[in-house]
Amino acid sequence: MIAAARDPQLPTHWFNILHDRPQYVSSAVPRSRLPEEVKRAGYRIQLQQPFSLARQSLNTADRFIPIPGEVLDLYAQYRPTPLRRAVRLEERLGANARIYYKYEGANLTGSHKLNSALAQAYYYARAGVKHIVTGTAAGQWGTALAYACQVMNLRCTVFMVRATLRQKPIRGDMMRLFGAIVHESPGDLTDVGRRVLKEDPAAIGTQAVANAEALELAGEDTESRFAVGSGENSVLLHQTVIGQEANSQMALLGEFPDCVIACMGAGSNFGGIALPLLGAAEDSGRSIRLVAVESAACPKLTRGRYLYDLSDALGTTPVTKVYSLGSTYVPPPVYAGGLRHHSAGPLASAMHADGSLEAIAIDQLTSFRAGMLFCETEGILPAPESAHAVAGMMDVVSRHPRQGAPLVVLVNISGHGLLDLDAYRRFAAGEIEPVKANETRLSQSLNALEEFNQAITEAAEAT
Amino acid sequence: MATGDGSGVRPELDRRRARSLVFDALTAVIPDLRAEALDERQELYADLGMDSLGFVRLLVELESKLDVSLVDEDLMTIELFNVADLVDLVERISPPAAN
Repeated sequence: MIAAARDPQLPTHWFNILHDRPQYVSSAVPRSRLPEEVKRAGYRIQLQQPFSLARQSLNTADRFIPIPGEVLDLYAQYRPTPLRRAVRLEERLGANARIYYKYEGANLTGSHKLNSALAQAYYYARAGVKHIVTGTAAGQWGTALAYACQVMNLRCTVFMVRATLRQKPIRGDMMRLFGAIVHESPGDLTDVGRRVLKEDPAAIGTQAVANAEALELAGEDTESRFAVGSGENSVLLHQTVIGQEANSQMALLGEFPDCVIACMGAGSNFGGIALPLLGAAEDSGRSIRLVAVESAACPKLTRGRYLYDLSDALGTTPVTKVYSLGSTYVPPPVYAGGLRHHSAGPLASAMHADGSLEAIAIDQLTSFRAGMLFCETEGILPAPESAHAVAGMMDVVSRHPRQGAPLVVLVNISGHGLLDLDAYRRFAAGEIEPVKANETRLSQSLNALEEFNQAITEAAEAT
Repeated sequence: MATGDGSGVRPELDRRRARSLVFDALTAVIPDLRAEALDERQELYADLGMDSLGFVRLLVELESKLDVSLVDEDLMTIELFNVADLVDLVERISPPAAN
């Protein structure tokens, strides 16, 4: 039964940038070149993702990939999402700019993550999987997947980074409301969790450890599989409904953005809004600036190295070339937990490497200040991650000359901050300190990353 | 093992053909790999350096070479350890060899 009519502006296809730029297809370093502790003899090859989903990450043949009808019907319940001009914010900033924003926080789970969660749950269910296990940092992905699993009659288990689960336990409550089992990561349930806790009983957790715990649990029975909410090309593909809608909505207003801005965790909301507009700009011969805004506590694009690195703490997943601070880096516990992953995804990294993407790092206080201003002027409280995008946008706009043509900016508000009220309250009360990267740990982690790559190079030369 | 003719015994020709297809596909998706250096006892993960991304590339390659459409549900239950497991898989999914 269809619950909502499909709006004519709802895209029927995902936009696949790999068709236009096949060089962005990820290539992993052969495991035979990896250090022994990662190589792991005796490991069996098994698909974690359904084949039809996994192959989307390699597809260079099709510029547009049809969205399955069942997924479209679910999208129709909350899409198209609003595109608005931030008139009051423009006035407050006194900027020579027309600022548009796309708002992805109005669905039940509160963020853009639902766009991929519904698609992934559909493919996993169709492949016969009964139980999806995942890791989540700030909880937006875990919430979205929990809901999507409920819709598709799948069981769901979420490992949520300890620092963020303790900051906002209500996120865990919401996932449980949707039927998920939620574990704090690191925890005693898995070998990797026990190992991390043995080294540091007060470990605050990272996305890499949460994913490793999820992978370990998913490997324990044949009905369970691991799923990931960002970084993979297929995930960015699912998110392209955002940018396609934005392009159509701006066209109705006679506009096209000079600059597209989004926050950067591993790249899904950035790719979702930016990639279709990059394609549209190239189709029409226009130029476009793409700006990714990261947390100054986890500055992988602005201070990381473009090298091969592990994505999860176990090293089970493919070792791809990414901008990274090193998989051993533990970023400080900022409220924007979704920006704490140590590396950008392979596609966003490749775009930064070839100059298609600029990066800005924003500190936590600046982001909260921007989030509060956005709330005052636009009536939307952005998630701490999205507040980084607002702060980045304000930085870009402030640098635009006061004279001449106004800058047309499009920023993605990837989620709402209604589950982060405590953080905003603490900010308003002056209780939040600026948080920067931990320089000692960062230096150690970058050194370890370079040694890891040196070992790969030596192994390649030996073959 | 599933067979094309339902007899439970697969002709040796099919095994050789499957092995050849597997060796070709492996050399297409794994850098620096030479077909003459391959044998069925080699571990896909530890010896050949294959990971899940490489496995997906391999399946795409095999789908093309065999001119078949692979089904998600069939592939999710498969666990592969060595090259022989992969040859077994190709025997199962390939259309029967022409006589």
